[in-house]
Amino acid sequence: MSADAQPGRNLRVMAADDDVVVTHEDIDRAHDRARVSAARLGRGLRARTWLLWLLIGPGILVMLGENDGPSMLSYAATGAKFGIGFFLPFVVLTFGMALVVQEMTVRLGAATHRGHAELIFERFGPFWGWFSMIDLGIGNFLTLITEFIAIRAGLGFFGVPPWAAVLVALAVLFSALLSHRYWTWERVTLAAAAFNLIFIPVALMAHPHWGAVGHAFFTWKPLPGFNRDTVLIILSDIGATVTPWMLFFQQSATVDKGLTTKDIHFGRIDTVLGAGLAAAAALGAIVATAPLFGRMSADNFQAAQFAQALVPLIGRFGAALFALGMVEAGIVAAITISTSSAYAFGEVTQRPHSLNLPMTEGKSFYAVLGLCAVAAAGIVVIPGLPLVFVVLVVNVVAVLAMPPALVFLYLLVNDKEIMEGVPSPGWMNALAAAVVVLLTAAGVLYGVSVVAPNLFAWLGRL
Amino acid sequence: MSEHEHVSLADTSLVLSTLEHDQLVSAKREPIPRRRLRGWQLALVWTLRVYLVFMLAVVFWQAWTAVR
Repeated sequence: MSADAQPGRNLRVMAADDDVVVTHEDIDRAHDRARVSAARLGRGLRARTWLLWLLIGPGILVMLGENDGPSMLSYAATGAKFGIGFFLPFVVLTFGMALVVQEMTVRLGAATHRGHAELIFERFGPFWGWFSMIDLGIGNFLTLITEFIAIRAGLGFFGVPPWAAVLVALAVLFSALLSHRYWTWERVTLAAAAFNLIFIPVALMAHPHWGAVGHAFFTWKPLPGFNRDTVLIILSDIGATVTPWMLFFQQSATVDKGLTTKDIHFGRIDTVLGAGLAAAAALGAIVATAPLFGRMSADNFQAAQFAQALVPLIGRFGAALFALGMVEAGIVAAITISTSSAYAFGEVTQRPHSLNLPMTEGKSFYAVLGLCAVAAAGIVVIPGLPLVFVVLVVNVVAVLAMPPALVFLYLLVNDKEIMEGVPSPGWMNALAAAVVVLLTAAGVLYGVSVVAPNLFAWLGRL
Repeated sequence: MSEHEHVSLADTSLVLSTLEHDQLVSAKREPIPRRRLRGWQLALVWTLRVYLVFMLAVVFWQAWTAVR
């Protein structure tokens, strides 16, 4: 092998057979993988814990990222509207479904070293590849707007003006990118995501009736009344737990992190940990707002209004933590969702796409990432924004993208040509198929309910 | 690392000894061949196309209604 650099491209080194070109991205990833290889040699609990620490990331990020501004608002509305009961175990069940779906992306990413958009493009053709990328891009951009709305509303509780709120969020997003290293980006984002658990102390401040909480988990009762509102919030909670960007993000992050088939077990643990933490935060939001149950209608509350309503019940400090939780939810989701768009763009257009890229080599990747975030943030500070319309379109676009994304995920994970050596067990396939069918049906029903609410009107008369 | 720094032999060795061949950026530039779909898979993909046409119509109708 020759270590001579190519003329004009000093970051590239040719191997003797000229087949292998080593890039900056490869070197950064190799350094991360070298630490993993060294950690594998260790024995005992400490060594295993260190190995786990090195390999966790995409699963926790995707799950806590999905606990975004709109999702946390949805959980808060669930607590205020239905109190403690059926929805506590139900939310845990939805995270179980998310776990089944996201686990497939870990296997796909580790086995193929390709992102989800790239695999769809290459295995199913340009039509589905471009469709996936464009639909994901539009959905992600609209979702980003809702994240900045949550950030603006959360910081509004402290009197921060909208322009300053979005600047704070953008500063966090760009500071995570400064190192041009996947590892550093992942750890900075993980640290920010940890604040999602702030909803747990807020829930404790609400002094929940632990007997009622335990009863709800064991009996799934009290059941909510069966009417249109209940059906919509059930569909909304299901839809809030698995969304298209999650599939694309976790697979791309798994590839960028450099996980291999040897790491699938730890990838699963990472995803289980993420689902557990996210479920705990979601339950925290429900329990925190449960004291509002029966006191007021919180149907159209935004983050700051929930926080204001909680002041008499959990105090100013607790309400401030709630508002901060909303801000964190929006920021982490903004980081992960904009990264997901940049990955998909690079995969479909076959341009460099990695958080290990220096700015000079990853111009298009960082440009897509930054432009999406800046444009969404800019839109949010425009006065008189039709928020209801934006939220409506977000839901519909997500519904549009979900069935193809899930079907292709299932077909890809069972594609023996690319998944050689990583077969899907029969029971796992059956479980995945059931979840894919259920999520697709729930997504379509939710979409129909959003665009044609009168279709469900008869439920209100039941 | 700036663009003007050279890649060391140690780094190159590290890359080739640590990463799987498929993980290298150069290997990922090689396209994966198109999948040959079986009958039921083709039917599924066509169902998705029909679904897309239907949902796109719903979206445009909804946007038109909202604008008006």
